[in-house]
Amino acid sequence: MLQHLFRLRSLRRAFGRPTRLLASHWRLVAVGVACVPIHAAATLWMPRLLGETLDLLARGRGADAELPRQRLGQIATLLAGLALVEAVTRYISRKTLIDVSRYVERDLKDQALAHLQRLPIAWFDRSRTGDLVSRLTQDAELVRFVMGPLLLHGGSALCLLPAGIVAMAAMSVPVTLACSVGFGLLFLVMRLLVPRLHAWSKRSQEAIGELSQRAQEDFAGIRVVWQFAAEERERAALATRNRRYLFANLRLVRLRAAVNAITHSTTGLVMLAVLAVGGHEVIGGALTVGELFQFTVWLGLMMFPLEILGWTFATLPRAFAAGVRIEELFETPPESTTGATPPLRGHLQVKDLTFAYPGQVRPALRELSFELLPGHKLGLVGPVGAGKSTLLALCLRFYDPPRGTIFVDGHDVLDLQPAALRALFALAPQEPFLFSDTVLSNVGFAGGTASATAIDEAVAAAALDQDLPQLPAGLQTLVGERGVTLSGGQKQRVSLARALLGDRPALLLDDTLSAVDPTTERRILAGLQATRRGRTMLVATHRLSVVADADLILVLDGGAVKERGTHRQLLEHAGDYATAWRRQSEAAALEGGSA
Amino acid sequence: MSDPWQDDVPQGRFDLAQLRRLWPFVRPYRRQFAICLLILLVSFFLELAGPMLVQWAIDGPLANTAAAAPDRLRALVLACAAFLAVTGLGAVLGYRYGTLTAWNGQRVIRDVRSFLFSHLLHVGPSFHERNPAGKLTTRVSSDVENLNELIATGVLQSVFDLLKIGGVLVALFLLDVRLALFTVATTPVVIGISIAFRAAAQRAYRSVRGKLARQNGYTAEVIGGVRATRAFHQEDAVAARYRELNHDTTQSWLATVRHFSLFFSAVDLAIRGTSIGLLWFGGLSVLDGALTPGDFVKFWLWFGMLAAPIKELGEKYNVLQAAFASTERIVQILAEPRFPPAGPPAPPPPPRGPAAVEFAAVDFRYRDDQPVLDQVSFRAEPGQTIAIVGPTGAGKSTILALVSRLREVAAGSVRVADRDVRDWPVGELRRRVAVVAQDLFLFTGTVLDNVRLFDPRIGEDAVRRALAIVGADTFVAALPQGLLEPVQERGATFSQGQRQLLAFARALVTDPDVLVLDEATASIDSATEARLQQALAAALRGRTALVVAHRLSTVRSADQILVLERGRIVERGNHRQLVQRDGAYARMLRAAEPPA
Repeated sequence: MLQHLFRLRSLRRAFGRPTRLLASHWRLVAVGVACVPIHAAATLWMPRLLGETLDLLARGRGADAELPRQRLGQIATLLAGLALVEAVTRYISRKTLIDVSRYVERDLKDQALAHLQRLPIAWFDRSRTGDLVSRLTQDAELVRFVMGPLLLHGGSALCLLPAGIVAMAAMSVPVTLACSVGFGLLFLVMRLLVPRLHAWSKRSQEAIGELSQRAQEDFAGIRVVWQFAAEERERAALATRNRRYLFANLRLVRLRAAVNAITHSTTGLVMLAVLAVGGHEVIGGALTVGELFQFTVWLGLMMFPLEILGWTFATLPRAFAAGVRIEELFETPPESTTGATPPLRGHLQVKDLTFAYPGQVRPALRELSFELLPGHKLGLVGPVGAGKSTLLALCLRFYDPPRGTIFVDGHDVLDLQPAALRALFALAPQEPFLFSDTVLSNVGFAGGTASATAIDEAVAAAALDQDLPQLPAGLQTLVGERGVTLSGGQKQRVSLARALLGDRPALLLDDTLSAVDPTTERRILAGLQATRRGRTMLVATHRLSVVADADLILVLDGGAVKERGTHRQLLEHAGDYATAWRRQSEAAALEGGSA
Repeated sequence: MSDPWQDDVPQGRFDLAQLRRLWPFVRPYRRQFAICLLILLVSFFLELAGPMLVQWAIDGPLANTAAAAPDRLRALVLACAAFLAVTGLGAVLGYRYGTLTAWNGQRVIRDVRSFLFSHLLHVGPSFHERNPAGKLTTRVSSDVENLNELIATGVLQSVFDLLKIGGVLVALFLLDVRLALFTVATTPVVIGISIAFRAAAQRAYRSVRGKLARQNGYTAEVIGGVRATRAFHQEDAVAARYRELNHDTTQSWLATVRHFSLFFSAVDLAIRGTSIGLLWFGGLSVLDGALTPGDFVKFWLWFGMLAAPIKELGEKYNVLQAAFASTERIVQILAEPRFPPAGPPAPPPPPRGPAAVEFAAVDFRYRDDQPVLDQVSFRAEPGQTIAIVGPTGAGKSTILALVSRLREVAAGSVRVADRDVRDWPVGELRRRVAVVAQDLFLFTGTVLDNVRLFDPRIGEDAVRRALAIVGADTFVAALPQGLLEPVQERGATFSQGQRQLLAFARALVTDPDVLVLDEATASIDSATEARLQQALAAALRGRTALVVAHRLSTVRSADQILVLERGRIVERGNHRQLVQRDGAYARMLRAAEPPA
């Protein structure tokens, strides 16, 4: 990884964009960077004054002269002035450079998310949500380190270290060498130990991750645990994970204790080196006691830049990898936004459609053909994985179907602008996605300004009105992580209201009411039927009563049409549909309703 | 709190009563904790000794130009040797302290975590209904982790830091009263500045954390909801909303940067001011002859020892606050009563074999004003099947839950094998009564793990047999890795029918005496439907069963049918009897007739 850092091209790939963002704030950067050497100069002056003080004290001790006192006063005043300069320059450089790094992080995140919104759905299928989130959070934070804290601390170390070494060598080369050997050894030991520290820290993180996952599942499935009297087994399973975590942590803390002990004792050993070699020099007359003291002050000053150096070596490769990961997002080409935007009514034709997901061999849909006139209703039924959702996703062009297979109002969907095509449809998926926001803003997600009446109508049509009295703030209730947890059925109805609100020409219901109880479902469907007003509907479902009134029902199995026709035709056909219909009617009847 | 995104870490307060609740976990390791304290004390004196040796070296061999060079060198070597010994011992003790405290802390939190988890497995159903799994997981993972800081180093180190500040001050007083008084006078100023700025910075930081959590949460939502965004063409709106949150977070960051920049500069300035004062007063003392140059250096180095504990105390304060908050939450959970409550030890369970199930005048309610079951009585003789029908919300699944005592009756009694379920060892009762849920809850693991629920005593052969009995063997065999196929996304790739087949296998693999079953509604997958019929027949053979029925074939063959409405049994009898009666059940049957 480190060698990549020295290649200009890969450097530009990782940090090019953030650097350009940094440059756009060049005024702040200039002020901040200018303060760094001033601060360093003020810091570097201090040890000399302290050394002089001690020599002054050693020489002037007991003497009744006024001169040493005067000089002592001068030194104290000078030190106070330097301290003030240091405080002010440090404040300015920190405030400007760290602020800048936050601006860079902010702008980078803005750009990345806006770009992400334009990437193809198929790309999201290949990516894990957690990975994408970490690029927009942890990775951006790592890149930020380079674009501010490194300028501040690294710049400061760059000024202090060489100047300090030169100043120390000017006083005594042997003592400087002795110190360098001490610190060099420390550096080597750290290079050896720190990667192992990281490795065990990762192991420990994984172990707690496994533990949490098991605990989470046990709590989510606590009823199963009780029903099968598995408490003792689960306790043991967690104890095993707990033990693994303990083991990883014990290794980790032992390493950490060793690192601490070594760092701590190295400072002691370097002090010893100063005392021994420097003491020898003092006795030999090559060094004064004040200069010896000056060394100890220098050593204190050098610790921080050395730490920064170690930190930089550890962080830079990670920041580099993070920069590359973020840039990869920008390198992915967005989905096309070109195409015709004719007015669409929703006349859907599917001709001999065979479709396999990108990267898969087995087709998800085989030789599918049908036609749906505007205002008609299509029913899609079949087991999990039969291809129902795939067909709906293709209508929205979440994936590109083969040319010449799907037409809307006579246009191949590939020739239409995706946004224009999607504006035709309103989608209510089986697992609806709600944002942690109010019920109202989730319903109104489709945008535009809906009148209060329109919202009330959509809410009523989705039978969401019956839940509002139970929600603490009605439509203004916050849902999700920090708010009220809605039941599966409630979420589905929020999502349905969202789909109904825009009054779009065609409605795609993908098993939308699977978690809604049958009575409410019947009420919703009756309402939808009454207010259909020429709306085209594509309805995928497991409950056949939902599609009994459809103009065409397709029974899919393994991506192919197994049975097709109207409800009546399918019952006469006496196939799978008819059997399932009879059974579902029985079930409904035994619950006291009719299908 | 009006803004739900404010950081939800409560302000932990120092509460001795709660800390006492943790004592049983610490007690087994009290000797090790005592050793840690001892090490800390010895380390403190070693730390004081270093500057003393430096002072001795400066005033002795280094400054004493009158003595002969070889004598001075010998003295220097002596000082260096002593310094080496002090440093070496310090390093060894430091390492030992580091490992031992961590060892203690890790073991205590392991014990707390195990106990807490086990307790959570045994608290009542209503507690789990109130608390989502994610929240409880946080208690077991992060909250227990926070305790580590408190137990491993928190209390011990803080007490010691206070002692250390006191000890150094005493040493300073012994050295020079004037300098010590100056130090004592200025140290509170440094601490005061430190605390004041830290409090402000903490407030700013808390606001950052709240906003960052909201922003990151939104990021995840936007990525998870990409299809919804795309379908409704809201890409720009979503990006704009993100920008808004992002800029809001950045504004808060800038405030913390300002606080921290001021904080660092101010504290540095205050410490420097104090040390310049020391230089001035100390220098005058040396010039007056009251102190040696070596004393001056020693004082300087000792004063430096004060900075670390003062800084530590400020940092520890925040850590401890979080730890106290976590302790509060953990103690709260530990106070929850267990279910079933511990009673006198149950008598040994009745012998195995088909058992009668009886409900005698059972009342049940979740809330006082809403009776769910009202005077429900029935009896299933060993080997009989009882079918329960009725509308959603009539109390059907509550009856099932009462049999294996997942709930407690409000009045009346539930008897299995003619013994009240409250007199059964609850584990044994649940082993005899198996539940087939309509929707199978799947754990991360393989199909094998999920059928035998991680019970290693159940062999692979037994699992295969159970799968074969219910007719799930063919579809499991068709999976790429068969029995060892990992379950993906909570089993979303299995159809409803397949999930119920697996639920049957899970129930039958332990060969239960009683079966309670919530029949799945029919799917269009005809092959699986046929297998479900077989599975049901196989499962009922030789067992007492309570079935919430969704199929006519099931009710027809049941020994007794209960028609449940609003918590009451309105009709009972077998199929023929109820058809003759021409009541609610007969009406249901007519509704089930396919339309002509």
